Parts: sequence; structure tokens; C-alpha cells
Amino acid sequence: MLDGLRDLLRHRALVGVLVARELKARYRGSVLGFFWSLLNPLLMLAVYTVVFQLIFPARSPSTSPYALFLFCGLLPWNWLSASLTDASASLVVHGSLLKKVLFPAEVLPTVAVLAQGVHFLLALPVLGLGLVLGAAGVFGPAVAMTPALFQVPLLIVLEGLFLLGAGYFLAGLTVHFRDVKDLLGTGLTLWFFGTPILYTLPDISSPFLRSLLAWNPVAPLFAAWHDALFYGRWVGAGEWARVAAISLLVFTLGSLFFARLRDSYPEAV
Amino acid sequence: MTTGFAVVAEGVSKRYRRWGRSRAFGTLKSAFLGRGLAEALGPSETVDALWNVSFSVAQGETFGVIGANGSGKSTLLKLVAGIFKPTAGRLAVDGKVSALIELGAGFHPEISGRENVVINGVMLGLTRKEIERKLPEIAAYAGLEEFMDQPVKTYSSGMYVRLGFAVAVHVDPDILVVDEVLAVGDEAFSRRCLDTIGEFRARGKTIFFVSHALGLVEELCDRVLYLEQGRTKGTGEAREMLAAYRLDVAAGEGERLKTEHVKDQDELREAAPPAPEAERPRRWGDRSAVITACRLLDASGAERYSFRSGESVTVEIEASPSRPLTDFVFGMGVYTPEDVCVHGSNTETDGLNGERFDAPGTARLTLPRCDLGAGTYLLDVAIHSRRGTPYDYWRGACRFHVESPTRDAGLWRPERNWAFSGGLRLSRS
Repeated sequence: MLDGLRDLLRHRALVGVLVARELKARYRGSVLGFFWSLLNPLLMLAVYTVVFQLIFPARSPSTSPYALFLFCGLLPWNWLSASLTDASASLVVHGSLLKKVLFPAEVLPTVAVLAQGVHFLLALPVLGLGLVLGAAGVFGPAVAMTPALFQVPLLIVLEGLFLLGAGYFLAGLTVHFRDVKDLLGTGLTLWFFGTPILYTLPDISSPFLRSLLAWNPVAPLFAAWHDALFYGRWVGAGEWARVAAISLLVFTLGSLFFARLRDSYPEAV
Repeated sequence: MTTGFAVVAEGVSKRYRRWGRSRAFGTLKSAFLGRGLAEALGPSETVDALWNVSFSVAQGETFGVIGANGSGKSTLLKLVAGIFKPTAGRLAVDGKVSALIELGAGFHPEISGRENVVINGVMLGLTRKEIERKLPEIAAYAGLEEFMDQPVKTYSSGMYVRLGFAVAVHVDPDILVVDEVLAVGDEAFSRRCLDTIGEFRARGKTIFFVSHALGLVEELCDRVLYLEQGRTKGTGEAREMLAAYRLDVAAGEGERLKTEHVKDQDELREAAPPAPEAERPRRWGDRSAVITACRLLDASGAERYSFRSGESVTVEIEASPSRPLTDFVFGMGVYTPEDVCVHGSNTETDGLNGERFDAPGTARLTLPRCDLGAGTYLLDVAIHSRRGTPYDYWRGACRFHVESPTRDAGLWRPERNWAFSGGLRLSRS
């Protein structure tokens, strides 16, 4: 785990310029450029508001106002799903770098996760706007804005660590089993519904299903996101410990797996 | 930097897994727990791209690698560049390596040349500051000052490669690894590349050079490694290795010519001699006598179609008459593929008179020293009457190859002795 972090530090300049390139290249040629990172979540918030305020009224009082609740879980989820999709393809897509240049492979999935992380950060002001509007009661019952929001940076770090580990694992695996790319799309959809984003775990009536879904490694993380953003609650020490342990474990195992297969990448991509 | 060697390879081997087979690893378990990924695979599932290759490159030396396609040159290059790891053996590289394998690898088409240079530079190990300081110099070297703010996707392929080369040589490596990249770009840029490489040599940098351009290898390299099917065929002086390589290529060519010759002869024997054809017939005559075979022999009597200049060559002609003949002449001519007559003579010009030809026989003409220059030649053989009526005239009956051990030019390669006197002195290299 320390080795993994040390490598990343060593290549931070490279990671930095590549993340910047990723972002620049993405919006090159579009009129609004970086504003899309803000605009997209704003449009998403607008769509959910229309759908869940006007078309489907809120169901459970614990997740009301539902549009805002959904938004609080969806942004971290979008980061997760986009990161893992990009990271898993990163080695194969940039195969020529690995084949033709002495290039540190771990930089590629890292860049994928961090570039998506920047999009996530750019979307946070929109989330902030949503919370302010929510506090003013625009979405229905007023939502309290509390100092619990100060937990957000730590959550970002822990989710980032989780995504790096999972990204390394998927990137390495995809090099040898291209099937991963196809599986991942469906897998992410299944994972999305198995993660408390559209609902909260306590809302599930079946005890069997509830205990099954509790095994989801990101369930504690998303519960913590809801706590910090939507409910304005402090996340309990035990919960923090679980989230942190899972993130560190995934990061460590992912790095180890990635390092184990490292020599095979230039030949196999 | 204590050894004085930039690259030392000891028994380096590289094994690839063979693709198309279903198994990626020996077992899935070995992928996660075992030591080597390819180790558990059976011999039928792997390919040895390099086998037990050892050499050392001194610091400041220009070291060339030659060999046919698929001999393992590129694999070796990637091993030295650190992109691949050897399967077995030890490979030590001392110093910062810059590999010119694919120029501009990693350029992103959507962003500007300037940004790509910065990223490429960082990729090759420079800091942002260093590369930004060198930017004007790089742009000038590539001749792209006005285009640096354009996205790279608008560049021509030549511009792309120039920019890639400019970055790669400006990272100031200790060891420059050069693949077949100098072939791209226009004449002026190729010249500049070579000048840069010369400059690197002058500054005492090590250069590891892989090329099919043998002339360039000869010009640039101090020592050369000759690879054949992943094994070392030889290491030594550039000139020596290149001569060995050229001879092997020629021998291979000779082998091919021999097979073709046999095939041709079989085909032509059945048809020979055909009715005169409209356009440059290969064989004509009234069939009073027919050449049944024509082959070339070396000094030991073995059939061969590739000779070293100065070797003995024997032309063997088997023929049979359709009726007893007294008026006959055997002739031969040597032509270049461009149809320039190099030599032509026959039994009559050589002062021999035909007496009888009433049963199949064999004529052998030996050239004790065939002092032809390097190249491919065609041999015409013929039997005709003293007045010139062709019985069987066969153009290009044999095709053979002559190899010269030195780099002289022309069709004729005479023995030569230089002598100097007065204020003139030369020494043998």
C-alpha cells in the first residue's frame, strides 16, 4: 500500500499533466467547454426535480425531498461508474504508450480516476446550490444545512482510494480478459441498484435482502454520503472505520494485483 | 558509472506467449500466485524471440543490431529501453535511456503541439520547468514554431514525427535507443537526425541502433551484433559483421535462385525449344541440338547460384543432338538484369572446332576467377551453327548472384594494388 502511494507520488508530475490533458481534450471544440462539468449536473438536478416533484411524488418520508436525496447519492456514483469504466479500458486504449515508451502503467488508471474526480469536484458547487435551495424549502420539506458537510473532503479521499484500487484491478484484468469491458457495463447497472442510492438500507423491508445488500462494499460509503450531505448527520466512528478499512483494503489489493501483472502489460495490450 | 559499460547483457532470453491459444496463463492460479507468467506454459504455447544473447556496450559507443525481419532486433531494443523484461538472463543498463521507437507516441490529437510537447517531455522524464524552458528550442528544431498552438490532429505525419524526434533528443539521455525511425521525414530532416546522432556520439553518449539500412549502420556504428532467429550470429567490428550478414543474405538469395532454377529448368525442358515468340523469347532454335540442362558449379563441383567475387565458377551444359552434327558451336553470355552484356564468348571465339556431336554430352566451361562486381547476373547459353543458325538459344538459362566482400562498385572487380610514394602515406584500417 505504501509502495503504491510512493509510486504515485513519484509520478505526480506525469499524472498532473495527463489529468489536465484529459480534461482539456474532453471539452476541446465545444463552445461551453468546462461549463459542461457544471451544466451537466445542473441539468440532471433539473430533470430529477421535474420527475420526482411533479410526475412521481415522494414515497418514503425518510428520503424526502427525493430529488435532492437522489442527487446526493448520484454524484458520487457517477464518479465511481465513470472512473471504473475509464480505468478498466485505460491500459488497452493507451497500449501504444506501454509498448513503445517506457511508461509507468499505474499512471493510466490513476489518471482515469482523477480526471473523473475533477468532474465530480466541479459538480459539487451545483450540489451546494441544490442544498441551499433545499434548505430554503424549494424541493418541499426544508433540509437542514449543518457542519456535517465538513465530512465531505474525507469522504472524497476515501472514495478516491477505493476507486484507485478497484481501477487498478479492473485495468490489469482487462488487459488479459477483454470480456471485462462488456461485463462491466451490466455489472455497474446491477451494482447501482444494489447500492443505497435510490433508497436507504433501513427502508428495505425484507431482512434477508437488507443483510445481503449490506455486503456491498460501497454501501457504507454511500450511507455516509447521505449522512453528510442529505441528513446533515455526523457519521459514526464505527461507520468511518468500516468505510476507511474497505477503501484501504481495496486500494492495497488492487495495487498488489496490478503490480503483480505489470510486466505482462507491454506484451499483452 | 563505474563499469564503463552502458549496457551489459548476459544470457538474455525473451519468451513470448503464443497468441491464438486459449490459455493466457499456465493456470489462473499461476497468474495470481506463481512467479513467472509464461513459465507454466508448455513449449508449444510460447515463442523464443531471443535466446541466450550476451553482449556489452561500452559508454560512448555506437552499437548496431542487424538481422533479418523476425530475428529479435525490436525485442532486444525494447528490453534495453526497459519496456520489456527479459524472461531469463541479466540485463544491466546504466544511464538515462531515451527510446526513439515510435516518435510522438502518446501525442493527443485534440490538444496543441505545445501542450503535447510538455506532456511528452514529462513522460520521458523531464520536469515541467525543464521542458518549458526547452520549448522554443524544440519548436525551432522541429521547424514548427508557427504551428505549436495548433492541435496535433492538424499536423502532417512528417510534422508529427519531427516534433516527436525533437522532444526525444532534447531530453538529454545518456543512452539513445534508435529504431528504424530515421526513414521517416523528408531528406532534410533525415539529414538533421543524422547530424544530431553524430553530435550525440561526439558528446560521448551511447547509441543503440537498430536498422535495415546497412549503409547507415556501417557509417554510424563502432560495433555490431548480428542476430539470427533470436540467437547471436556474431558480435564484432561493424564492417566484419555487415560483410557476414551480406554474404548470408546472398547465400539465402542463391538458395532461392537455385530452387527457382530447378523449377524453371523442369518447365522449360518440356517446352524447349518453343516456337519463336513475338516478344523477347527466352528460347529459340531449330532443335537440331537441344540443351537439356544448364547449371553452375563452384570449385568443389557443388551446384550453387551465389558466389563471392573472385571465386571459380563452372558452367555445365548438358545437350543432345537430334541428328549427328559436325557443325556446332557452344556459346555463353553473361548479362546484367538491365540487359548489358558483360561478357560473351563461344567455342569458336576460343579457338575450338566442333568435330562430332552424335550422342548426348556435357560441356563444362570453367572461369577460374570470376571477378564480377556485386550484383545479379543472367547467363545465356546457346548451341548454334558456325554461320550463326541457332539450334537452341536459351536466354537467362541461369540467374546467379555475386557478392563482394568490400564496398566497391561496378560490374568488374579486378584485383588491385595501390602504391604510394613521395609525401603520400596511407595505412590499412
